[in-house]
Order: sequence, then C-alpha cells, then structure tokens
Amino acid sequence: MVPSIWFDYFNSHSWAPNPTLFASTIEEMIFSTVRTPIAHSARHFKFWLAALTILVVSASTLHAQDWFKTETSSGASNIRIAVADFKPTSSDAQTTALKSIFDATLYSDLANAGIFDIVSKSLLPQSTPGGPSEIVLAQWANAPASAAMIAFGGLGVQSGRVIVNGFLFDAKNTQYPQVLAKQYNEDATEDSARQIAHRFADEIIFRLGGGTPGIAESKIVYVKVAGGNKEIWQMDYDGANQHAITHLGTISISPRISPDSTRIAFSSLGHDGFQIRMFSLLLGRPVNFPSAGGGTNLSPAWSPNGKDIAYSSSRTGDPEIWISDANGSLSRRITSFRGPDVSPVFNPKTGAQIAWISGRTGLPQLYIMDSDGSAVTRMTDGGYATSPSWSPNGQFLAFAWDRKYGPGAPGGQDIYVMEIATKRWIQLTHDGGRCDFPSWSPDGRHIVYANSADGVAAHMKVWSMLADGTQRRALTGPGADMPNWSWK
Amino acid sequence: MATHITYTRNSDITGESFGSNFANSILLHLLVAALIFGSAFLFHKRGTSWGESASTAGAIQATMVSSLPLPPKQRELDTGVLTSEAPSPAPITAKERTEPPPSPNEVAIPEKTKPIKQAEKPTPAPPKHPQPAPEQPTKAATGETAGIRIPQATMELKSGTASISVEDRTFGARFAYYVNIVNRTVAQNWYTQEADPRASLGKSVTLTFDINRDGVPSNARVETRSGSPSLDLSAMRAVQRVEGFGPLPAGDHITVEYTFHYQPK
Repeated sequence: MVPSIWFDYFNSHSWAPNPTLFASTIEEMIFSTVRTPIAHSARHFKFWLAALTILVVSASTLHAQDWFKTETSSGASNIRIAVADFKPTSSDAQTTALKSIFDATLYSDLANAGIFDIVSKSLLPQSTPGGPSEIVLAQWANAPASAAMIAFGGLGVQSGRVIVNGFLFDAKNTQYPQVLAKQYNEDATEDSARQIAHRFADEIIFRLGGGTPGIAESKIVYVKVAGGNKEIWQMDYDGANQHAITHLGTISISPRISPDSTRIAFSSLGHDGFQIRMFSLLLGRPVNFPSAGGGTNLSPAWSPNGKDIAYSSSRTGDPEIWISDANGSLSRRITSFRGPDVSPVFNPKTGAQIAWISGRTGLPQLYIMDSDGSAVTRMTDGGYATSPSWSPNGQFLAFAWDRKYGPGAPGGQDIYVMEIATKRWIQLTHDGGRCDFPSWSPDGRHIVYANSADGVAAHMKVWSMLADGTQRRALTGPGADMPNWSWK
Repeated sequence: MATHITYTRNSDITGESFGSNFANSILLHLLVAALIFGSAFLFHKRGTSWGESASTAGAIQATMVSSLPLPPKQRELDTGVLTSEAPSPAPITAKERTEPPPSPNEVAIPEKTKPIKQAEKPTPAPPKHPQPAPEQPTKAATGETAGIRIPQATMELKSGTASISVEDRTFGARFAYYVNIVNRTVAQNWYTQEADPRASLGKSVTLTFDINRDGVPSNARVETRSGSPSLDLSAMRAVQRVEGFGPLPAGDHITVEYTFHYQPK
C-alpha cells in the first residue's frame, strides 16, 4: 500500500524536487500531478488518503492471494552436469585461496545458468582429476552422480600467474569424451580467479545451452542509496564486486548501460532539475550530454545499435517520449498526447519499436509503438503498470504491475511478463512485497528486479530470478534499487 | 425422663471384628496347609513305583481300541453290499456252453463288387490380380544391410518419444553431446498440446532438417507423414521454433532426421 505515501506527497503541493525523495516516486509524481486536474479533485484525494490510511493497517492481510504454477514443458530434462573441484597443480601459498574462489564461482555460475541439472557436491566422487588422463568416466557417469557432463581441471599459481586448465567431458561418450578444453593464464588475484571461472562457465553454457552466450561475465548497474544521496553502482551479475561508479553527491537514478558496455546513461538532479547525464566507463568520468534546458528528464533507454537514446522529458510541460542521439543532439519528440509518457525502452532485437508507460487514459498503462511514434498499441488492460523491460529476443515484455490498483484491492505490485504477440501474461513474483524495475539478462533467461519485502524504500534490495520466476536470490543488501542488466 | 444416648464408635467394633477375623483366617490357612502336608505324609507311598527299575517291569500291552468305552455302532441299513457285515451271497455262475462250430455252408462269402468311381471336382481358378512381387534384396542376405538406421539418441518425454539420427555417422559418434543437445532442444520446443490427442495417439512423424555452421536449423521437411496433420504441424513448429543449437563443433552442416512419437503416458 505504498500509494498512500505518494498521495500524501502531492497533497502537500511541494512539486520542487526533494532530495529525500524516493527514486521511483518521480514517475508516479508525474502521473498524479498531471492527472489531478483531469481525473480527481483535491477533495477526492483527501478521501482516498483517509481510506488508504485505514487500509494500510489491513493491507497485509489483504495482500495474500491464491496462485498456482502450471507446467507446459514436454518433460525434456535439463543436462545433468557435475562440477568437480579443481586439482591444485602447484604448491604455491595462493593456490588454495584462489582455488576455493574459483570452485565456488564456477559451481554457482553453472547452477545459476538455469539450463542445467547440477549434481550436488555431496554426490561427487572423491577424486579430483586434473586432466583427461586422470579422469575415470564411469565414476561420474554412474550413480549417485549420474552426470552427463563433467567440468573439471587443474588450477595452479606459478610466479604470480594463475594458470587454469579447464575441461568439459561427455560422461556418456567413452570413445570421444572431450567437449571443451580451455587454458587460462592471468594475474594471480582473487578477481581474476573469479573472472576465469566466469569465462569458463560462459564457454560451457555457450556450448551446451543452444548457442546462447552465458551471462556470467555480464554486469548490473544499479542505484545505491547512500545517506541522502543516490549514486550509480555496478556489480557482477552474481552480486560480487560491488563498487561505485559515480561520486556526484546528488540524486542519480535510472542508470542504463550502453549496448557496448562503455557508457552509462542516467538521470541526475542538478541545478536545473533532473537531466540526462552520461558516464564513460572507459574514461572513468562523466562526459558531456547537453541539458534539455528544463523540465524533468528521466529514464534514458539505449537503442540496440547504441546510437540513439530515448527518454522522457517534460520540457514542454507534459512528460513526453523524446529521442536524441547518443551525444544528446538531434532531439525529437515521439509522443504528443495529453498525459504523461515515461519509461521508454527499445525493442533490443530490432530497435524499431518502443515500449513505454503512458497515462493518457488515467492510470499508467503499458504501450508499444514504432520508434517513429506510429502504430501505438495498448498492452495492459488496467491496473497500474510501470517500468517495462524488453526481452533480448524481442518476444516478451517484463514490467511491474499492480493489477488491481485502488484502495482495498487485493495483490500488490509484482513483476509480470507479457508475450507481445498474444498479450498473454504470467505473474513472476507473488506476495513478496513491492517489486519494481525488472530488467532482462542478455540471455533472456534471467530477470533482475528490485524488491522491498516490507515496502520501505530504504529496504529495497536487488534480486535476480529465472525468467519463469524460480531460483530467486538477493544480490545486494538493503539500499539498492533500479537495477539494469548490461547487454552482454 | 432422662435420656442417655450412648454413642459407641462403630470403628471399635469393626476393628475388633477385623482383628479376630484375621486371626481366624490365618488359623484356617494353617489348618489347610497342615491337612495337605499331613495327607501327603500319610498317603505317601514308599518304594519303587510303576515303570521304575523293578524286575517285574515288562512290556505293557495296551489294547486301547477294543477297550475304549465307545457307544455301540449304529447299525446301518444292511442292504448295502460293502457296508453290510453279513457276507453277500455268491453270484450264480452259469456253466459256459461251447457253441458248435458252424457248418461250412452257413458262412456266406461276400461277392466281389467294383467300387463306384467319383469324378474329381475341379477347384475354381484364382482371380487374376497383379500380385506384388516380393522385394528382392539388392544385397546379399548376410553382411551389411541397407536402409536400417538406429536412432543415435532417443529421449523419453511425458507425451511420447523423440529420437534423432544424424546422417553423418562419424559426426554423431564424435560429437554425441551435440546430437543430444539438438534432441533436447527440439523436444523442449515440441508443444504436444498442438497435436490432436485422438488422431495422433501412437503415431510418429519423421522430419529432416539441416543445421548450418552456426547451429541454425533450416530446410525442415516432413520425411514420413504420421497420418495426423496436427501432429505433423506440431513437429514442424517445434523445429521452426528453435533459434539455434549452438555452432557446430565441426563441419559445414549436418542433416538430421528427427522422429516424434506421440504416446502420452
């Protein structure tokens, strides 16, 4: 029952940007301010406010809803893969530490890939083969391991370099078991051990996952709430290696990483309101992106070729979708309908379509259109939809949706996935508190999102799950919001 | 008139009575015990008893059956031959008489007669249809047989079986894992609810498609129809739904034969 906070905020009539503002309120702020003269009067708001404050108490009981999971798969099982602990091939002091990092990372990468049935460590044979000559396939192919594939190898540190020999063997093919053999040679640091594990896992996933590259090397950018400020942070896909990107000392929100992973576009609060900013990961500093001159500019979105950026701008007074090129020039307006239009996102497969949120009929709904503004199609039929994310294959839209919006309505804001061709949707999160900002992984198998179990903005965490809603896990601690998965 | 009420506690009486009864009981028990022991002492028989090492001890004849005091047997009706205790009368045996031998003229000698010949019924000629000639083997009966291909990978699904074979045998043996991936990926994309369950039950359709260097399937065509168009279509869609299997580990392209067998469990 978060909305009561927003209404409260609007009743105070303080439209000036407030540094303590919760990031996602801005979208809703726009909606409500524009909607106020059209839909409701101030008296209505007071009534709703009173009603909502009563309902806040009983919200937790109303929140529960029945749901069930259906299965339509044909029963084809996943590949059963065993991940052996690697064999230490040198007696260097660093070997043990790096090997444990490597083993844990490789195991979690393959377990999180979503395409494997991974053999539990407790079922593995005792032996740690370091090379093809040392492995006894029958040990791994038979029960209890019953593995179809085995990832194994050796890891050693020699004169400051970590050398990893990784193999992937087909346990059922005794004649030609080798599927993959890789050698890595990097500086002996914990980070490089983790990166080698990611790279080896990606190779395995690429070979066995039907040609879709793995996501173990991908990154996630997100907003970190630090005191009164919000900075852009970055982490590995599994939540490791969290570090700050920006140090602007202001409120920076809605980071979007460019398709080539060289730049991050985001919206930041400056002396002229929220403006689109650009940060170069190559240079490690902000780069120029001309200010729109006024209004609130939010939620930039990269086109898949990296040349255009779509964002919402209220420079004309009404938030509309604008597209400019990656340098901020050649701005042009795409939508021109009364009512707020925010949160654009390009179709990453073609770049020819944009999905966005529009409040032209009242409550914010999900729409798609061609990137020149034609062929507008409404996707959701009601409720309160926010923050769309287009799947990499262009087939699905993930978005946050409060399907039964209103005082006393059951359910809450959850993550949904809609098939664009049929407008059929499935609900991915259930009863877990307010969920928002879904973002697809580059392989289209995972979704990262922000969730706050108790609805308190400061408790927002970044979570990741498989695109069917399973294997949910928190990547960060409290105070992380608005995640965005890199393109590769 | 003065009235005196003497209140005597009943418990005293019961206490006394209980004590005397108890003593009596003890006395009685002792008396019974003395009786038992006394009788045992009095009637105790000394010396060896029956069956012990006495010189007179011998075999004992026990004629139990005849001496059993059973009630006399009920006489049944005595007409039965087997149940009757009275001996049945001996059967009357007639003395055999020998037949006199026949005179030579009495026995008639049968005349010789010719058996009547029956003409054989002609069987109707079979109608003349072009009979398919049995296919002659092109090769010798022993050795390699042509045209039989055993699937290289078969997968049991909830709604049937999916089996695959690759025309390039060496590829299939060398990269069995890739064949398995192709099998699994197509099987995962086979939506069996697209097939009409009644028309397709127990039928199988075989498709052939090529996989190019990048692992993208193309040129899918039905090799053997199942007889259920919806099953053929669902199999075709399963292949068309696959975006790719991953790049080929070797070679330029492979041709895959894929059989969908619809048999929901």
